[in-house]
Amino acid sequence: MPEQATKPRYVYGVVRGHGKAPAVKGIAGAPLELVDAGEVAALTSVAPGSYLEAGREDLLTHSRVLEATLEQGTVLPMRFGVVVPDDETLRGRLLEGHREELLAQLAEMDGKVEFALKGLYDEEAILRELVSHDREIGYLKNEIAGKSEAATYYERIRLGELIAAAFAARQEEDAAKVVEELRPHAVAVRVGDPIHERMAVNASFLVERAGLPKFDRAVDAIGRREAARIRFRVTGPLPPHSFVELEAVV
Amino acid sequence: MATAVQQQPYRGGSGYVARSSSSGLYDVLELILDKGLVIDVFVRVSLIGIEILTIDARIVIASVDTYLRFAEAVNRLDLMENKDSQGLPDMMDSLTSGGASSKTKGVLQGAKEALFGDEEEDEEDKDEDDGDERAGRRRTASSTTTKRRRRSAASGSGSGSGRRSKS
Repeated sequence: MPEQATKPRYVYGVVRGHGKAPAVKGIAGAPLELVDAGEVAALTSVAPGSYLEAGREDLLTHSRVLEATLEQGTVLPMRFGVVVPDDETLRGRLLEGHREELLAQLAEMDGKVEFALKGLYDEEAILRELVSHDREIGYLKNEIAGKSEAATYYERIRLGELIAAAFAARQEEDAAKVVEELRPHAVAVRVGDPIHERMAVNASFLVERAGLPKFDRAVDAIGRREAARIRFRVTGPLPPHSFVELEAVV
Repeated sequence: MATAVQQQPYRGGSGYVARSSSSGLYDVLELILDKGLVIDVFVRVSLIGIEILTIDARIVIASVDTYLRFAEAVNRLDLMENKDSQGLPDMMDSLTSGGASSKTKGVLQGAKEALFGDEEEDEEDKDEDDGDERAGRRRTASSTTTKRRRRSAASGSGSGSGRRSKS
């Protein structure tokens, strides 16, 4: 491996030392290189400059590099966009400075993968649900029906407000239910905020590879039960983005 | 470390849940931008415009515009009784591409489609297409609201990338 000690590096993640980088291209087409520091190593590629303007392709590359690495073994993913000025900084600030923490997390993540679950409401189904379950919403809806928009301006605002509130409550309820049903099949769970107006649930699960069939069947059962109102999408296996963390450097 | 690519194990198969192992950008965007190891002193790169859109487009519920869109959507439920998805409001028009079309195909088939558009950069195009399809119908307040929101989200991403350029 060529010595690139003075060049800025883009960092994808941390793996165990003495391994081999996957044979995929990194950001800007650069080959992947491991920077070793004994038992831990950083998966990197030489960055085109110390300051990188990244776009869609780079985001995808980051993700693909990590997925290729995950196929080889355990990897602790870095957040997108970490660039270090040189190898000395990389070793000092990350690999050596956090060695114990990194080793502990590598051991903890062995044999485990992340699955991202997103559920999106069927808009018509959820609206019908809200209308039929909330008397005031149903009443206002009937009041407004057939009248001009101008004549019902405030009623419509009130109706929308009620729907927004009822929707938020329903969303919280559904998300909690789904997460609790899947929790027994996961080692850990991170629940995120909805990132879409119609999102019912947005959560990540850390799952033992060995427990994957059970997790999958549980997801399927929920998908089947909720088929008329929520559509689910599961992405994975992914590196454990949501389950790694470093103590701040003091 | 072995270099052989492992085949992924059992990935369900009921057809009720959409699965992807090689991730589309939208599916992982949130994870790779917001999650994972990060160290304070390390530079984070600046992101170019559109990529931030999906993150910054989180919806602000509490506004009169939003309430009116919700109300309109509910009032259209009756119209939808005997009609297909063309009557659906773009109330939730969105980063999704599968939403409206899935109505006509049923939930099962819809579930097999991507919930989220795989190609975020097509979003503006899709929006225009939607407009054409509905050319015969009255342009609704909700669609203009949605467009306006999208624009502001797009322009807001400039400051978003600024915020993200360092950590």
